[in-house]
Amino acid sequence: MRTMRLFALALGAMLVSASALADDFLAGIPRKDVLIVENPEGTIKNPSWFNVWVPGTGGGWSTGLHQLAMDTFWYIDPEKGLDGAIDSSLASGPPEYNSDFTQMTVKLRDGIKWSDGVDFTADDVVFTVQEQIQHPGMTWSAPFAANVDTVTATDPHTVVFKLKAANSRFHAIFSVRWFGAWIMPKHIFEKVADPLKFDFNPPVGLGAYKLHSFDPNGNWYIWELRDDWKNSSMSMRFGQPKVKYVAYVYLGPPEKRSIEQANHNLDIIHDNTPEGILNLMKTSKSEHSWFEGFPYAHPDPTLPMVIFNDQNPKFQDPAVRWALTLMIDIKQVAMASYRGAATISAIASPPTGIANDVYEKPMQGWLKAFEIDTGKRKFKPYDPNVGKEIADSLRPSLGDAIPSAPDAIAKAIGYGWWKHDVKAAGELMEKAGYHKQDGKWVDKDGKPFTVELTVEDNARSVMTRAGSMIVQNWKAAGVDAKTVVVQNPFVNAFRPGTFEAGIGWSIETWGGHPDLSFFLLSWESQFVAKAGEPQPERNWQRWQNPELDQIIEAVKKIGFDDPKGTELGIQFMKLMVREMPIIPLMSYNVETSMDDTYWTGYPSIKNPYTNPVPNWANSRYMMERIQPKS
Amino acid sequence: MRAYLIFVLRRFVQFLAVLFLAITAVFFITHLTPNDPVEQTLARINSGMANSPEVVAEMRRTLTELYGLQGSLWEQYVEYWQRMARGDLGPSLSAFPAPVTSLVARAAPWTAGLLVTSTVIAWTLGNLLGGLAGYYRQNRLLKAAEIAAMGLQPIPYYVLAFVLLILFGYVWPILPITGAYVMNRDLSFSLSLVLDVLRHSILPAVSLILVGIGGWFIGMRALVSNLVTEDYVLYAELGGVDRGRILRSYVMRNALMPQITGLAMNLGAIFSGTVITEEVYGYPGMGKLLVDGVNSGDYSLVLGVAVMSILGVAAAVFLVDILYPLLDPRVRLG
Repeated sequence: MRTMRLFALALGAMLVSASALADDFLAGIPRKDVLIVENPEGTIKNPSWFNVWVPGTGGGWSTGLHQLAMDTFWYIDPEKGLDGAIDSSLASGPPEYNSDFTQMTVKLRDGIKWSDGVDFTADDVVFTVQEQIQHPGMTWSAPFAANVDTVTATDPHTVVFKLKAANSRFHAIFSVRWFGAWIMPKHIFEKVADPLKFDFNPPVGLGAYKLHSFDPNGNWYIWELRDDWKNSSMSMRFGQPKVKYVAYVYLGPPEKRSIEQANHNLDIIHDNTPEGILNLMKTSKSEHSWFEGFPYAHPDPTLPMVIFNDQNPKFQDPAVRWALTLMIDIKQVAMASYRGAATISAIASPPTGIANDVYEKPMQGWLKAFEIDTGKRKFKPYDPNVGKEIADSLRPSLGDAIPSAPDAIAKAIGYGWWKHDVKAAGELMEKAGYHKQDGKWVDKDGKPFTVELTVEDNARSVMTRAGSMIVQNWKAAGVDAKTVVVQNPFVNAFRPGTFEAGIGWSIETWGGHPDLSFFLLSWESQFVAKAGEPQPERNWQRWQNPELDQIIEAVKKIGFDDPKGTELGIQFMKLMVREMPIIPLMSYNVETSMDDTYWTGYPSIKNPYTNPVPNWANSRYMMERIQPKS
Repeated sequence: MRAYLIFVLRRFVQFLAVLFLAITAVFFITHLTPNDPVEQTLARINSGMANSPEVVAEMRRTLTELYGLQGSLWEQYVEYWQRMARGDLGPSLSAFPAPVTSLVARAAPWTAGLLVTSTVIAWTLGNLLGGLAGYYRQNRLLKAAEIAAMGLQPIPYYVLAFVLLILFGYVWPILPITGAYVMNRDLSFSLSLVLDVLRHSILPAVSLILVGIGGWFIGMRALVSNLVTEDYVLYAELGGVDRGRILRSYVMRNALMPQITGLAMNLGAIFSGTVITEEVYGYPGMGKLLVDGVNSGDYSLVLGVAVMSILGVAAAVFLVDILYPLLDPRVRLG
């Protein structure tokens, strides 16, 4: 017993001294100098790999590498931007196309240097394109090889791309939404025998920051402001960033992120849970988010939806798709998924950024007047009051956090959605040839109408909860429905087409620009795979329609900023409403939580200078406005 | 001696057969997974940019070629054994071109350090307290320890891990809850690094010890409870032998044999890591590597971790088998 007591005493003393002598969270740098940001990528498997031009290497991207060290021609912010949503970064202005869109000229800014002091020139751009074409398997090899005939530097600051075919959206490759084709340092890579096996450690970048240190076990990366920050495209125009060090850290399960933010060890949580952000807002005075009140989250320009596999005979009749839409009670779905903090959308556009002004608001009149034929009557399915009703139902528990002005409700919670009308849905089912037997919908042979809704595992629990609620709604309306849980359904169900219906998204927009090309060009009917073959991004619904193809052809023939783009966008939205090949639900609300104990000036709905979601490359602009609290 | 050598040789052949069959089984099972590393990489690239379907098809072709996945399953199987013979576990398909051996070599010391320490502590404390509780059955303190051990045993590990995390990371925040050391730590050997690593291992280790101790405690108590009724123990007591000596030399020593086997098996299994511990506490190790490999369809990595685990368990069984006759004369070598 004596030995045991001695052992226990020694162990206790060791642990106490270990606790007393060790650093709290960060060694060697004062906490007040470091902005600590969550990296949602998880533990980086190949931490010393910084070569972003090779995919699938296990190296991280949103470790700060693509936010702080990389750069390319243009950034399109989902919000207003520091100086407009479209920022010409390495380019000195917009792309210059010839009249038939077979040539694009890019003028580059002067005075930009790589982080090792070497000048950035047009030769780096030419090298970036040619090197990747010569090495299939690099990240942008295929898009460059498919599009670029020749690329030349006509002078140190001008690059001319001659394209293999007309392409009015070629510049999209070099435009950052989440990321873009990053420019390679020629002076580093030209000395490398095989770029596919080169780790690029330490990275040499064009951003305002350089790598300070990283965890050999892949849980954190720290970036330091370059002494010559003036030679970066961002800071030469917007001034010296006030954040000297930025740490990107992976902390594990969501509960830990909230704990570390409550302990002020984590300044920005990438995407909290609805419960986590609600709790932090209630308990922490230093807590901030995009909206000061409900729904707190930043609506990303991504549209979660019910995706029908339209190659499945069950879903080929628009009457069935509409019936399933009218069986859904979106208020229940909003409560089940985001605890009410959803921003709903009845149309095929994420209700965020510029979309509210160019699509959602202008279409309200048309939506209210829109009618469908249920087979028994003309029916107006749109309910413009859903957003207000959700707000009213939340107000008793959340009080002033819930907006009351109609415009504020529309922005935060959404306009309207489709009526929850089981009677009209039943009429549509009958129109499609089904009838009810013992309370269940069956076809003319008495076979039950079943729907399997694929949902993701708990990786995106909010979406899983939305799917579960929708299945409950369908069941309550007499559909034999069930959820099927699949890990990463985009790869394991939507791409191979082994699903009936699923919760996911096939519509992602620029956010800060009305152009729909980001997703729409991949929706052409010619790209729809045969049943049983893998479907390339993003037409997961495998939907084909001649009118859709006409719209896409028209989009391809006009410039990016042509006002006709918005008209074509509205035409597309109307077609989607009539056909309902997917059921739009809501924007992907990212519950970014920000703690202002050490730093202030985070982006918000009142100061929407950039997207706050920190794994997007355009979150680099935050460094220009975030300031020390003191 | 000759009989013993023949026994060892037989067991070694069995050991090799187990290795071959287990690795073969794992190879085919991992290759049947619906998760495709090429598709995972394609999804990642295309989630962030607008590529046409022709471009995606070209990407798929080049990545399949780059990862060396063109051959038939049988060709890949033969190639795998050829590489294994050279001690090469192949490249990771989600951290290409990093070799699996380098990923395993980076993770294994953390897992081994945490699990060997916590397993040995749990084993020692559990057996010691269980032995004492079985022998001194009227002792109130030991009864309380028994209740605590039996109370902890059925608690799901992840619940206990989160309770500790919330208690010491949030309610009374005195311990780190993430990783094996603080950010920006210089990992060259120093006292501050040792203290830092110790401090970070407290919560994961304590959680493992708390759940591990119960099993050993209950097992040892049951073994000792049986042994104290044996004639030779009663005879020793009647003969006036010191009770401490009876416990140490007559009871515990005999009761320890099955517990040593259990310890060897547990230590052999550490290379599969502790998935939940490493996930909850963000501790670098084999468990995290395994989960990452499964999630990214990296069957090369999953296979690598599985091979290490198979080797560990098979080697532990082999060692216990060949040591048993030396430790326990009742084992026959027939």
